[in-house]
Amino acid sequence: MNHDAPLLEVRNLVKHFHVGGGLFGGRAGVVRAVDDVSFSIRRGETLGLVGESGCGKTTTGRCILQLERPTRGQIVFEGRDLTTLGEDELRPVRRKMQVIFQDPYSSLNPRMTVGQIIAEPLAVHGIVPDPAQRAARVRELLGRVGLLPQHARRYPHQLSGGQRQRVGIARALAVEPALIICDEPVSALDVSIQAQIINLLEDLQAQFGLTYLFVAHDLSVVRHISDRVAVMYLGKIVEITDRKSLYDAPLHPYTKALLSAVPIPDPALEAQRERVVLGGEVPSALNPPSGCVFHPRCPIAVDRCRGEVPELREIRPGHRAACILA
Amino acid sequence: MGVLLEVENLTTEFVTRGGVVRAADGVSWDVGEGETVALVGESGCGKSVSALSIMRLVAPPAGRIVGGRVLFKGRDLLALSDEAMRQIRGREIAMIFQEPMTSLNPVLSIGRQLTEGLEIHLGITPREARQRAGELLAMVGIPDSERRLGQYPHQFSGGMRQRMMIAMALACNPSLILADEPTTALDVTIQAQILELMKDLSRRLAVAMLIITHNLGVVARYADRVNVMYAGRIVERGTARELYANPRHPYTLGLLRSVPRLDEPRRARLDPIEGQPPDLTRLGAGCAFAPRCAFQVARCAVERPRLVPIGGGGHVSACWEAANLDRAVARSGAAT
Repeated sequence: MNHDAPLLEVRNLVKHFHVGGGLFGGRAGVVRAVDDVSFSIRRGETLGLVGESGCGKTTTGRCILQLERPTRGQIVFEGRDLTTLGEDELRPVRRKMQVIFQDPYSSLNPRMTVGQIIAEPLAVHGIVPDPAQRAARVRELLGRVGLLPQHARRYPHQLSGGQRQRVGIARALAVEPALIICDEPVSALDVSIQAQIINLLEDLQAQFGLTYLFVAHDLSVVRHISDRVAVMYLGKIVEITDRKSLYDAPLHPYTKALLSAVPIPDPALEAQRERVVLGGEVPSALNPPSGCVFHPRCPIAVDRCRGEVPELREIRPGHRAACILA
Repeated sequence: MGVLLEVENLTTEFVTRGGVVRAADGVSWDVGEGETVALVGESGCGKSVSALSIMRLVAPPAGRIVGGRVLFKGRDLLALSDEAMRQIRGREIAMIFQEPMTSLNPVLSIGRQLTEGLEIHLGITPREARQRAGELLAMVGIPDSERRLGQYPHQFSGGMRQRMMIAMALACNPSLILADEPTTALDVTIQAQILELMKDLSRRLAVAMLIITHNLGVVARYADRVNVMYAGRIVERGTARELYANPRHPYTLGLLRSVPRLDEPRRARLDPIEGQPPDLTRLGAGCAFAPRCAFQVARCAVERPRLVPIGGGGHVSACWEAANLDRAVARSGAAT
C-alpha cells in the first residue's frame, strides 16, 4: 500500500436535506447541511473538526461513515470511493471505520451487559466466532480502556459517565478499525473525567496507530488532541491548517472570534483581555446569506463579501482560509 | 457592601433506592449586595440542589431540607409561609436555568409569559405590563420587540430564549438572580454574548448573582468570589483571583490542571483527576476526595477536614494538607 496516500479523502462533499412540504405543510426547502467540503486525513493523524451547532460537522462524520448517503461528492477511504459501494460491499469497510458518540448512555443498549455490548461486533463481523475466545477478548479490551474484568457483567446504568464512555471506546476498538470518528466524545463528561478520556484516546492512538476525526466545539480540547484543524461554519470549511498555525496565527475572522470567545480560567488575564463578541446568530442553513455566509456577523466585512463567495485558498503554505480579506 | 443572602449549614437530603443521599451537607456561604458569586463543581456535587433549596423548590417526598437557615435580607426563607415564599420567588429572587426551552411554557406567547409575573407581583394593569415587557425585551437585546411579544418559544433560537429568560428574571427588579448553568447549552459565540449581557445588566441594575457552573473559564471572567463544591460540601472558597492564583484544595488544583488552556503552551499530556466521583450513599467518615487525592495522608481517610482560613481575605479550604499544598505543588511543578 502507498503510505503517502491519505487514509481518508473527502472530495467536494455535499449533503442536502429536504424539509417541509409534507403532510403538515410548512414551506418546502433544502437545508444545505454540508456544502462542498473537501479535506483529507493521513494515517495516524488526528484532524479536529470544529464549529457551532448546525455547522455540518456531525453530518460530515455521518456521510463519511455512509450513515447518510452524500448528495454529491466522494468519500475515498483506503483508495476506494465509498459512495459507489452497495450495502454488501460496505459491510467489510464499516469494520475499518468506527464511531464514538457524545452521550454514551444513549448509544449503549440498556438491556445488554457491558460484556455483551463489546462482544456483539466481534460476533457480527465474525472476527472471534468462538464464545470463550470472545470473552477473553472482551476482558482484554476492558483492560485496554482502563476498566476491570468484572465490569463485563454490569449494565450501562450501573456505570458512571466516564466509565460508559470507556465502554463505547472498547466497542469501537473491538473490530480493530483504522479510523475512528469521535463525535464530541468528552463534551457530556465532567471536567475531571474529560482529561482521563482524552489521555486514553491518545494512548490508544499511539498503541494501535489509529486515525481520528475529532468532531467537537471545545477549541481548547481540539487544540490539545489535533494535528490539524478544520473550522466549519454553515456547511462550509472556512479555515484548515495545522494546529500551530490555526491557534497561533488564525486567518479567518470567524476562527478569530471563536478563539476570542473561549473564556480562560485565570481572572487576572481575563480582566485585561479584549474580546471580540460576535453579534447576531448563525443564520439558517435553509436560507443561507449570499456571498460569504459569514458576512452578516463578520466584524471586518466589506461590500464585496455580500456578493462574492470566497474560495478556500492557500494563503500561507499549508494554511487555507475562505476569506477575500485574509 | 451588606450581606444579601446568607446560607447557614444548609442540609438537603434525597431518598434514593440506594439509600439517603445528603446532596447538600451543611453548606454555608453568602452573597453580598450586587456581588457575583459562583458555585463550582461537577455533576452531583450539590450545586444545583443548593440553589433549589434556597427557592424551596426541592420536591418532596423524595427531597427535603433537613437543616440550616437561609437568611435573605435578614429573614429566614425556610421559616416563611408558602404564601410569603411566593412573594419572594420571581420577585425578590429570580432564577435562570440551563435549558430555556424546558423552562418556558410552549403554549403561551412570549408576551404573556413576561406579563404574567408583572401583573401578579407588581399589580400593574395588563397594558402597563405589556409596555414593560416590550422594554425588557429591548433591554436584553431582542430587537423588534412588539412583534416578538406575540411569538412563541419555539420561534426563538436558543440564544434568544436565554435572553428571554433573562428578561423574565429581571422583570420585577429582583435583588438576586440564581443562574444555574445559564450558558452550558449554548454555542461558544452565543455563550459569550449572553455572559457579557448578564455581566453588563447585573452591574447596571446592581443585581447580585449566584452563578452555578462547572466551567472554570466562565467563573474566572464573571465571578467576584468562588465556592468550590465536592460531594455535597464546600471544599474551598475565596475571591476569584486568590483561588485561581493560589488554590489550596487538591480538588480545586486538580480541576484547574485538568483542563487544556488556550493561553498556555500545549502540554504533551493532560493531568486528569484519577478515579470517579464518590457514591454519595456510601460516604465514609473521612474526606470525600481522599480516594482521588494525590496529597492524601493517613488522617484523611478517617477524619473529615473542616473549612479553615488560609491567609487572609476570606480564603478558606477544607484540607488537612492545605498549609503544605503550595510547597507540594511547587515540588511537583519542578518535577514536570
